[in-house]
Formats: sequence, structure tokens, C-alpha cells
Amino acid sequence: MLGRISLTARLTAFYALVSTLVLVGLGSLVVMATERHFVELDRDYLKDKVALIQKIIQESGPGDSLVGQLSGVLANHHGLFIELRQGEQVVFATRESVFPPSVQSSDASAVPSDWRLGEQTLRGMNAHFEAPLSSTPTTPPGPPMQVLVALDTAHHQHFMHGLIHTLALYLLTAILFSGVLGWWAARRGLHPLHIMKERAQHVTGQRLDQRMPVEAVPVEFADLAESLNTMLARLQSDFARLQEFSSDLAHELRTPINNLLTQTQVSLTQKRDVATYQDILASNAEEFQRLARMVSDMLLLAKTEHGIELINREPVSLDQEVLDLMDFYDAVVEEKHIRMTLHGQATVDGDRLMLRRAISNLMSNAIRYSPHGSEVLITLRDEPGPTSMCIANEGTTIAAEHLPRLFDRFYRVDKSRSHPESDGTGLGLSIIRAIMVAHGGSVSVTSDQGITTFCLAFQDNPQVDGDLY
Amino acid sequence: MKILIVEDEPKAGDYLRQGLREAGYVVDLVDNGTDGLHQGLEGDHDLLILDVMLPGLNGWEILKRLRSKGREMPVLFLTARDQVEDRVKGLELGADDYLVKPFSFAELLARVRIILRRGRSGPEATSIQVADLELDLLRRRVTRSGKRIDLTAKEFGLLELLMRRQGEVLPRSLIASQVWDVNFDSDTNVIEVAMRRLRAKIDEGFEPRLIQTVRGMGYVLEVPEALR
Repeated sequence: MLGRISLTARLTAFYALVSTLVLVGLGSLVVMATERHFVELDRDYLKDKVALIQKIIQESGPGDSLVGQLSGVLANHHGLFIELRQGEQVVFATRESVFPPSVQSSDASAVPSDWRLGEQTLRGMNAHFEAPLSSTPTTPPGPPMQVLVALDTAHHQHFMHGLIHTLALYLLTAILFSGVLGWWAARRGLHPLHIMKERAQHVTGQRLDQRMPVEAVPVEFADLAESLNTMLARLQSDFARLQEFSSDLAHELRTPINNLLTQTQVSLTQKRDVATYQDILASNAEEFQRLARMVSDMLLLAKTEHGIELINREPVSLDQEVLDLMDFYDAVVEEKHIRMTLHGQATVDGDRLMLRRAISNLMSNAIRYSPHGSEVLITLRDEPGPTSMCIANEGTTIAAEHLPRLFDRFYRVDKSRSHPESDGTGLGLSIIRAIMVAHGGSVSVTSDQGITTFCLAFQDNPQVDGDLY
Repeated sequence: MKILIVEDEPKAGDYLRQGLREAGYVVDLVDNGTDGLHQGLEGDHDLLILDVMLPGLNGWEILKRLRSKGREMPVLFLTARDQVEDRVKGLELGADDYLVKPFSFAELLARVRIILRRGRSGPEATSIQVADLELDLLRRRVTRSGKRIDLTAKEFGLLELLMRRQGEVLPRSLIASQVWDVNFDSDTNVIEVAMRRLRAKIDEGFEPRLIQTVRGMGYVLEVPEALR
């Protein structure tokens, strides 16, 4: 599900969430600090009052004058509550029963404690001290005195309320604003994607030349754009190859069919003797055989290229296969006075029939292009590195631009030559490549100074499918 | 020798019937699976040639039912599909051979002959003779008109194949497969060259010429008709 939510929405939500967290944290800190500050202020204030009361008690004499003095002093302190006790007796109180027992306990002597009294919230603390010595030293001092002081914190609460309200309002605005900002930033940041999308929309089979604007997108997207461009380039060349192949195929089929049709129709225009008919039919049969071979080669290629499974996987001795095939080609080799030699030995895991076919195609190719009396050298290498088989023949150097395309179907170096020297189907090398790919290997070719060398390379682990073209 | 062809494509069926008749066989042709099974059960054919894709019953089904009824005559499948599974399935069901369309008629004929010859070979001959050409299989020696001819091992194999199947047209693909174990079409003229060299050794300087090229078909070793 998360995968379907748009990137912009996700980034916006993320921005909003982060700013909410940050601002809420900050707001809480401010509120807490203010609160603590108020507590300290109140404590100092209450302590001041306690000290003041203590001082009044110390300086005043015993008797009612104390109450009068206290009333006088505290008259102007609105919102201040005081209770003075001596022993169990309440000596003075600004108001009756203001202080709950919790404030009378000794805990509240250092840190103020809060409680509610009707509508008001009070904060108060207590203090103990000895009763003042009487002026006459003979009189024993009274029991210890306790003073309880409390403060109405309404004004603090009012302030805090306002502060929290303001903070909340600010928070909401800020979150909203950062969300909008985040949305805008995300949209702006993702704009290159829109450009790429637009470009991609223009890509069709006929218009594979479109490319992503690598220069115009940020670095983060440049890699993606580059990869897409590589993919497009690959597709373009594959597509071109496919198109070329279709037209080549049509052409390859059209020529023999045209020959057959013309020849048959011409021979039907008038009566001919038996020998002529036989001749025509035989020639037709040859042409048909070529067509049949081309079709079965095409089928083999199609099958091999669609990732066939090598059903008959077994250890195949390449040197034995080469020797067998040298025996097969012996007559042609001798006729052309070619010296064909094999060096080395190697064993690979694969389909014997298919490998034999690949090797046979390589050998017939080498023999076909070897001049009279030349040399063909077959080299097998098992160790070190991947197993390989190379076959080198003398002959015309193939121009470098043709080399990578030699394995394309129907590809011919000399375009003007509609038929090769033999009755090949133009698919031999493609079949080699397909067979090698099916074996997880590859085929390569080099041509230099009159020596053309084809090499089959087998992977160490033939299970892995190769993708070498 | 009686052969039953079950092939639903009329043109292909007619040509097969004609070709096999001209090769000396008695041929019945039906164009659907139901008739094919009926004929296979009722008739006394020595070989069945079955197309795989047929209206009514397919070729495999016909084979299965024939075998379940105890009919053990050899069966050769023809098919347009070349899938290994198909091949395996056909052979598992007890088919004797398998040809993928398009095939050459010479190839079909050669295979038909192999199948029909199977199981009826008498004592192994130690030498084969055609006209004045003699092949000694034990000592692996070839003489013509009493004159010793030196052949390479493969040339000997090639000549042996031709002589064993004298009078039969052998397609190139069959020769490559039987003599060199190369079971695919090579795009070279290697069979022609090999045949030319063999011919040079056994026919040059002798009369009559025994190895003939049948254009568009293959090669045959026989005494030319005019001399028989």
C-alpha cells in the first residue's frame, strides 16, 4: 500500500511531521522552563514573607500586638495567606482553614506545594522556628512556632494559559506552512522526473532515438537517466537489428522462392522432354532443401535464444569432438590441401550434440574461407581460466567494423554477394553464438594480418546463463 | 510389405502414398485418426506412418490404443513440431522413429527401409558384392575386378553403407549421420567431396560406374539400369 502513495505526499507529510515534532518539543521546553521559573520566583517570595514574619515575631513583644502588627504589615499583600501557629494553637490567620495537612508536613518547608482552594490554586510552604525569648529571661519560651504561607497563583496560570495558547497557534501555523513548503519543495525537487516522464512518453518503436536529459537533471537523477539512456540505446540497436533481421529474412526467402516460381512457370509454358523436367525438378528439390534447412536453422535459433534448457548435460571431451569432425571434414580439407591441426585438450559440461554442431560450424566456416594450401589451427585450453577453443584460419582480414556483426543472422561482410560460396544459410555463426549463450559461454572473433580467429569461451560455472552479444 | 499412412493433409498424403508405392510398397492412406485406428486394428500392415496432429484421434492416442490392444507393428511419427518432449513422448509410447517436417522423401524412405529390415536380418554376411566390386567385411578389404583398392576407414564405412543399401537412394543427411555421426546439416559440400573421392577410387578406370548421383535426392550404388 505504501508503495502507491505519491512521493510528493510522502515528502510533504514527512516535512510536516518533522516540524511538528521539533516545534512541539521546543514549545514544551519553553512551557516547562517558564513553569520552573515561576516556582522559583514563588519560593523566593514565600521565603521572603516567612523571613518577614519571623522578623516581626522576633521584634514584637508577646501579646496581641503581634497580631495587630502582622495584620498591618500584610494588609497590602493581596492574595497572600498566612497562618501562624504555636503548638496546636492558631495564633494568627488571614483566613480560616486555608492550609491542608500536606502543607503542614515538613516536606513543604523547602519546596512549595500546590493545592486548590475553591476556585483558586494556591502555592504554599511552611517554616518552623523557636518562639522568641521573652524580655524577662525568667519566663520560659513558648512551644515552637510554625508559619504557613501561601500565594494565589492565578496570575501565573493566566500567563501560562496565554503562552500555551500563543504557542499552539504558532505551532499550527508553522506546521501548515512547513507542509506547504515541503509540498512545494518536493514538487520542485521531483520536477526532473516529470521531464523524464514526458521524454519517456515520446518513446515508441519508431522513435527509440529519444534520450533522457542527463545534463538537465540533478546528480541524484543523473545515474537513473544514464541507465535509462543505456537501456534505450540497447533497445534501439536490438530493435534495429530485429527490423533488419525481418527484412533480411523476407529477402532471403524471397530470392529462392522467386527462383523456384519463375523456373517452374517458365518450364510449364511449353512441353519439354523428360530429361528437362527431371533437371528442373532436381534443381527445385535442391532449392527446397536449402529452404527447409534455413527454416530448421531459424527454428533452432529461436528455440536456443528463448533460453532452452540443456536437457542432455554431460561431460563432453572437446578434443574428441574436434577429432571426429576433422575426420568428417577430412575430404574437403584434403581437397583444398589445408593442414588442419589440433593442439591441447579440454572437457566441458554441456549438450554434446549442440556443442558438436557449434564446433562443426566453426570448422566449416574456417575451411570455407581458407585459401588453398593454407593452415587451420585449432587450440583447446582447459587451464588456467575458463575453458576455451580457438580456431584460426588464414585468409582475407575481416574489417574491424564487420567483426561484432558477424554473428548476426544473415549478416554478410560482402553485401553484394547474394549467395555465399557454398549453400550455407547465413545462420551458421548465429547458431554458434546461440549455442554458446545457452551454455553460459560466449564466442568472439578477431581478424588481423590475414589471420581470422574465432574463440569459444566456456564459463567456469556453466549453470549461469550468459548475456554476451 | 504393407504400409498404412495416416495423414490429414491431402497433398502430403498423396505424395507419400505415391512415393512409397513406387518404392515397391503396398500403401493405404486415411486422413483422420478414427479411421487410422480402425485400419490399424483391422488391417495387417507392417508399418504405420502417423501424423501427430490429426482430426479425431491424434497420433499418440492411436499408438497408445494400438499397443493396448497388443498390436506391435512398428510406427514412424511425422510432425511439424520439433520439441524434445514430443520426441520423448513418441518414443516412450513405443514409436520406432520420428521425422520432423519438412523432411526429404529420400530420408523417409531410408528410415522406412531401416525399420522394416529390423529384426529380420539373417546371418551376418561376411562380404558384399555388387557387379565386380567386392567388400570383404572381415578383412576390411575392397577389390574391384580382383584388383585391391586402398580405402581410408571412413571411405570403407561409406562404401559399406552404400553397398549394404545397394539400389537405395541415400540422402546426404543419412550418410552424414550413419558414417560420421553428424546428425545435422552441415553447410559444406563435404559429402559430395567424400563421394567424389570414393568414386575416384572405385569407379575410375572401371566399367560400369556404380556410384550414381541422384540430383536433389542423394546417392545410390547400383549397376546402371541399362546394363542389367
